[in-house]
Amino acid sequence: MSNCQNYNFPDQKGYFGEFGGQFVPEVLRPALTELEQAYTELKNSADFKEEFRNDLKFYAGRPTPLYFAENLTNHFQRAKIYLKREDLNHTGAHKINNTIGQILLAKKIGKRRIIAETGAGQHGVATATVAARSGLQCCIYMGAGDVKRQYLNVQRMKMLGAEVRTVHTGTKTLKDATNEALRDWLTNVKNTHYIIGSVVGPHPFPMIVRDFQKVIGEEVENQIQVLAGRLPDYLLACVGGGSNAIGLFYSMLKYKQIRMIGVEAAGCGIESKKHAATLSTGSPGVFHGMKSYLLQDENGQIKLAHSISAGLDYPGVGPEHSFLKDQTRVQYFSVSDKQAIAASFLLSRLEGIIPALESAHALAFLENLVPKTSDSEIVIVNLSGRGDKDMATFGRFFTEYR
Amino acid sequence: MSKKLIALLETKKEKGEKLLSIFITAGFPDPDACVEIILILAEAGIDFLELGLPFSDPIADGPVIQSVSQQVLEQGFEIAQIFDIVQQVRKCSPIPILIMGYLNPLFHMGIPAFLKRTHSAGADGLIIPDWPPEESLNYLPLLQSLDLDLIHLIAPNTPRARIREIDALTTAFLYCVAYTGVTGRSNQMPADTRNFFCQLKKNVVKPLIIGFGVKNREEFINFSQYADGVIIGSAFLELIKRTDPGERKNAVEKFVQSVLSKR
Repeated sequence: MSNCQNYNFPDQKGYFGEFGGQFVPEVLRPALTELEQAYTELKNSADFKEEFRNDLKFYAGRPTPLYFAENLTNHFQRAKIYLKREDLNHTGAHKINNTIGQILLAKKIGKRRIIAETGAGQHGVATATVAARSGLQCCIYMGAGDVKRQYLNVQRMKMLGAEVRTVHTGTKTLKDATNEALRDWLTNVKNTHYIIGSVVGPHPFPMIVRDFQKVIGEEVENQIQVLAGRLPDYLLACVGGGSNAIGLFYSMLKYKQIRMIGVEAAGCGIESKKHAATLSTGSPGVFHGMKSYLLQDENGQIKLAHSISAGLDYPGVGPEHSFLKDQTRVQYFSVSDKQAIAASFLLSRLEGIIPALESAHALAFLENLVPKTSDSEIVIVNLSGRGDKDMATFGRFFTEYR
Repeated sequence: MSKKLIALLETKKEKGEKLLSIFITAGFPDPDACVEIILILAEAGIDFLELGLPFSDPIADGPVIQSVSQQVLEQGFEIAQIFDIVQQVRKCSPIPILIMGYLNPLFHMGIPAFLKRTHSAGADGLIIPDWPPEESLNYLPLLQSLDLDLIHLIAPNTPRARIREIDALTTAFLYCVAYTGVTGRSNQMPADTRNFFCQLKKNVVKPLIIGFGVKNREEFINFSQYADGVIIGSAFLELIKRTDPGERKNAVEKFVQSVLSKR
């Protein structure tokens, strides 16, 4: 844990301990160098900081509330449960924080065309949104399987004027959408900026996305002081690539007493081998430009991930999470599709909030965590997105949850 | 470094001839046929072989190599098979072989273990596009002790200073991709790329081989004006795909002869 005392990662070479780096074909290197230089310049400029802050406030609707979930607290009868309402952001998830920042970067480096990958479609919508507002051409890659299960978001992207390219290769999910986005970037790197949607990919992306998402935790730190007069005991967030989790955790890593928990998708169960629990069951490897934990077979081929939630259905994870896991600063657990569905219905019926299936994974872990807490403790869950996009999936369970 | 490959490059240079390399994915169309095809290629007069290591997520490859990789993986390809293929070729041919693939399978086996097996199988080196020169520096002594080349890549958008760095670090030759993009695209050389290639030969010390999207004799001639040789990949895999197994030997020989124009 000593590494988290003066936490200053990534290092000069883009590493979080042994994870991260820039494992990309040479064609992309000039773009990564350009991006890092532009970002280093931009992040310290007063104009940029103000523009970013203003966009978050007046366009995205920040700060998002920290909501005391009294009924949920009464349900579990232990620690007080608060929800960070990232679902109330414009476009319905935390993803907009990152796209607002990255579109400013894209404009700074003079790119006219924006591409992105998307799983659940939330990042695709958030990207299409800022591209529309900036008058930039926008192309979103989405796996054929996800196009089907997150149809509402496909329609939203089209409404916003983006082109949605359906990816039919490989597993037809987020992993393959990312492959196609990388291939597009390799081809059109001269005029195109790739707004990567999570804290994954080659350096400097994991750092940039984290920095644009850290506002979540910074707000929480102030809000909980106002509401409860003290810091929380537990932070809970779901982890696919891991951007909402890093966003919540990052500013509070320095408080050693706060326990942080990332919840991955156990899909049909770890034993079924149909899951996306990368940190819980994977091993280090090199994929999508980064060294990080991966789901891979004995030949080093990337394995198929599975989750009912398209946003968590990814066989890799951000390198900073791999580092935080090995440092034991953050603990990672997983919950199944079934548990996530149950948690979605629980929150909807108790609090009148329909969570995204991704966020429901963090909520589902309350059942494991809260019984071990005391009523003087505080748990904060990042409600990273809203569930409108998942209605078709929820609908299949209406007879079960009457 | 592989003395074989360096000697070959020197001989060719003295003779004023351009090199032709062919890429084939290991295990395609099946492991035995793959060995046969390589031996036919060697016999037909190609100078060295790039043997592709199939990977589940080949981000630098276009549709042809992607689909071939996927097919081979679905046929149950295991990493050990690439070493078997090299060993079998070695029984009959000294043709230089470079293993080309993505880093993760090497990393997963353990890079030193992978390099040792590459050497003991009889291959001459590696080309790993997602393994940047900075990251492979630590392995240079091991590569050297195993007589293995590690070929680095540059692209038309690589800055001049960086080209010099990579030129210094690559061994045997410098691999230049013909355009910014994935393998197998149709190749109309734009004017700014032509300028880049005209300058390039003057700016590098190591022999230069151009790959990505080269299909036929015409493009072989066109690109080898600027380089010491050319690599053909996707176009060759497509030929194998559309040729009946019975016609394969004939078709492969004809293809190589047509590119080298030994008709």
